[in-house]
Amino acid sequence: MKSSLTMTLPDTTSTRSGLPWRQILLGVLAVAIVVYSFTANGYVVTVIGFAAIYALFCTGLNFFMGFTGQASFGQNAFAALGGYGSAILTADYSVEPAVALVLTMGFSGLVALIVGYPTLRLRGHYLAMATFALGLITYEISINWTDLTQGYMGYSGIPPLGIGPYYADSPKAQLAVIFVLLALGVIAAARLKNSRFGRACRAIAGSELAAGALGIPVARYKLISFVIAAVYASAAGSLFAHFVGFISPEVFGTAMVVQSFTMLYLGGIGTIAGPLIGAVVVSMLPEVMRGLKDFQTVGYLLLLLAILIYAPRGLHGLLERILPDREG
Amino acid sequence: MIDAVQLVQNLVNGIGLGLIYGLVGIGFCVIYNASGIVNFAQGVFVMLGGMICATLLARFGLPIWLAAILTVPIVALIGVVMEVAVVRPMWTRGASIFAIILATLASQMLLEQVTLLTLGDQPRTFNSFTPGGPLMVGGVAVPYQLFWVLGCGALMVGGLWLFFTRTRMGRALRACSQNAEAASLLGIPVRRMMMLSFALSAALGAIAGILITPSQITAYNIGTPFGVNGFIAAIIGGFGSAGGAVAGGLLLGVLQALAIAFLGASFKNVAALSVLLVVLLVFPQGVFAGLKTLRASRR
Repeated sequence: MKSSLTMTLPDTTSTRSGLPWRQILLGVLAVAIVVYSFTANGYVVTVIGFAAIYALFCTGLNFFMGFTGQASFGQNAFAALGGYGSAILTADYSVEPAVALVLTMGFSGLVALIVGYPTLRLRGHYLAMATFALGLITYEISINWTDLTQGYMGYSGIPPLGIGPYYADSPKAQLAVIFVLLALGVIAAARLKNSRFGRACRAIAGSELAAGALGIPVARYKLISFVIAAVYASAAGSLFAHFVGFISPEVFGTAMVVQSFTMLYLGGIGTIAGPLIGAVVVSMLPEVMRGLKDFQTVGYLLLLLAILIYAPRGLHGLLERILPDREG
Repeated sequence: MIDAVQLVQNLVNGIGLGLIYGLVGIGFCVIYNASGIVNFAQGVFVMLGGMICATLLARFGLPIWLAAILTVPIVALIGVVMEVAVVRPMWTRGASIFAIILATLASQMLLEQVTLLTLGDQPRTFNSFTPGGPLMVGGVAVPYQLFWVLGCGALMVGGLWLFFTRTRMGRALRACSQNAEAASLLGIPVRRMMMLSFALSAALGAIAGILITPSQITAYNIGTPFGVNGFIAAIIGGFGSAGGAVAGGLLLGVLQALAIAFLGASFKNVAALSVLLVVLLVFPQGVFAGLKTLRASRR
């Protein structure tokens, strides 16, 4: 938690000489991925689409975990709310997908507010276990409340994204919409990070006691940060439902928690670019590790453990060391 | 509406399961007390205990007592490997609590995958330790295995109590939990104690897994519910004493049995998790911290 504070210090103290090479490099990479995805075939589009959706999810989670220094092991609950909410509203009640997206985001935020109010008083292991329980409860309900969710069978026939007469009917059109929403989400997160509220959140991560002494309403800011993360997760869940056209309880299971945490830690927790880097790299891993066949998951988990032990600041931390903000 | 015999039957089943949760809960406490780490992979030891024992029985035709005696040290060794390879490097590097929790969770998934790949995805079971039964008490069937569970559970709680109060090693472990720095100044090898705690709690999980497999089934993915329910048991019991964790487990088992009776089997996990949330929220700092302050004020 201390590290996230020191990590963000250079932003405010740097006296940049020369060009911000790191930002330029990341920007070029991002543009390259976007351009490549529109020239590539169907399968690549799917992989990049998932990466972008996860990037949105992780950007929200990063706000709560990276900046505010808390932990939610149950963020999949809000993705499930978004996914199932959008699926049910659009497939059964013919609500406009765009309207459903906004409605479920609002609903998830409200649920996060109600659930977070008592839960966020917990710390450490208790917070981790309580949020983990939220995710598990949601998962169990999505399996067992078959009238609403169709249980293991999953929910199919979800229309693609769109508003009014405009529908993103091809995968590439969907991808464009996802990219736009992701860009909006990242810009919002970046602006929030350096706002008065964002700085207060990072102070909470450094020391709750000190932040409280400075007059920061710790409990309220933690809650707001949790709600922001939930709204992002909900949006990611909705996008997933529309992008694939099918959802089932497994999509929003514990594996989602571990995958998103891998992305956060691999990319670099507590930075804006970190979740994006993590989402792209982790989404490509299965393709790279295809040769491992059955041992794919094993290799993936070993990689996660190695990162957690040896490189807790992730790829972005590495990049910062190679291309630092300050000269010398 | 459910009739009385059925209700009592459910409660009997719940007591057996609850004791198992209690044993898993003790495993949580042992590691937490030695290192301040909550090992989210606790449930995987239950799975490994059942799966390894079932494999020894089926593939090598060993008698149950021998298979059980072989299984426990194997699983304890897996616990030690986890401590040495994953938890200790993070601990010495000062990783955050959440990163360590995530690492234990990842270790659980890793062990599950390895089990899936080596032993397959088929659920397994083996016969009760004593053939025959169940014992019929006024229409309620009490399986003989329940007596094994009760007996072994009582034996282990008693044994652990003796270990923690009467042996040098047990006292050293408790010293680590109170103040690791002071303990190391007194010449207690704190790191070796942490390893010991992982071995001990893995062994406890394995025993729980062997005891429960005849009445349930085991498969590579049964770890999470046992882990979560064991954690709930430990929290109800106050994260301190073995007896408390067992009491917490029994309470949870009975509550789950009632949930099955009145809400249906599919909602038993939702009920348990709701109990967890309620307990956590009534004691916002955790029951453990509540007891600690109580103990401190008494001093």
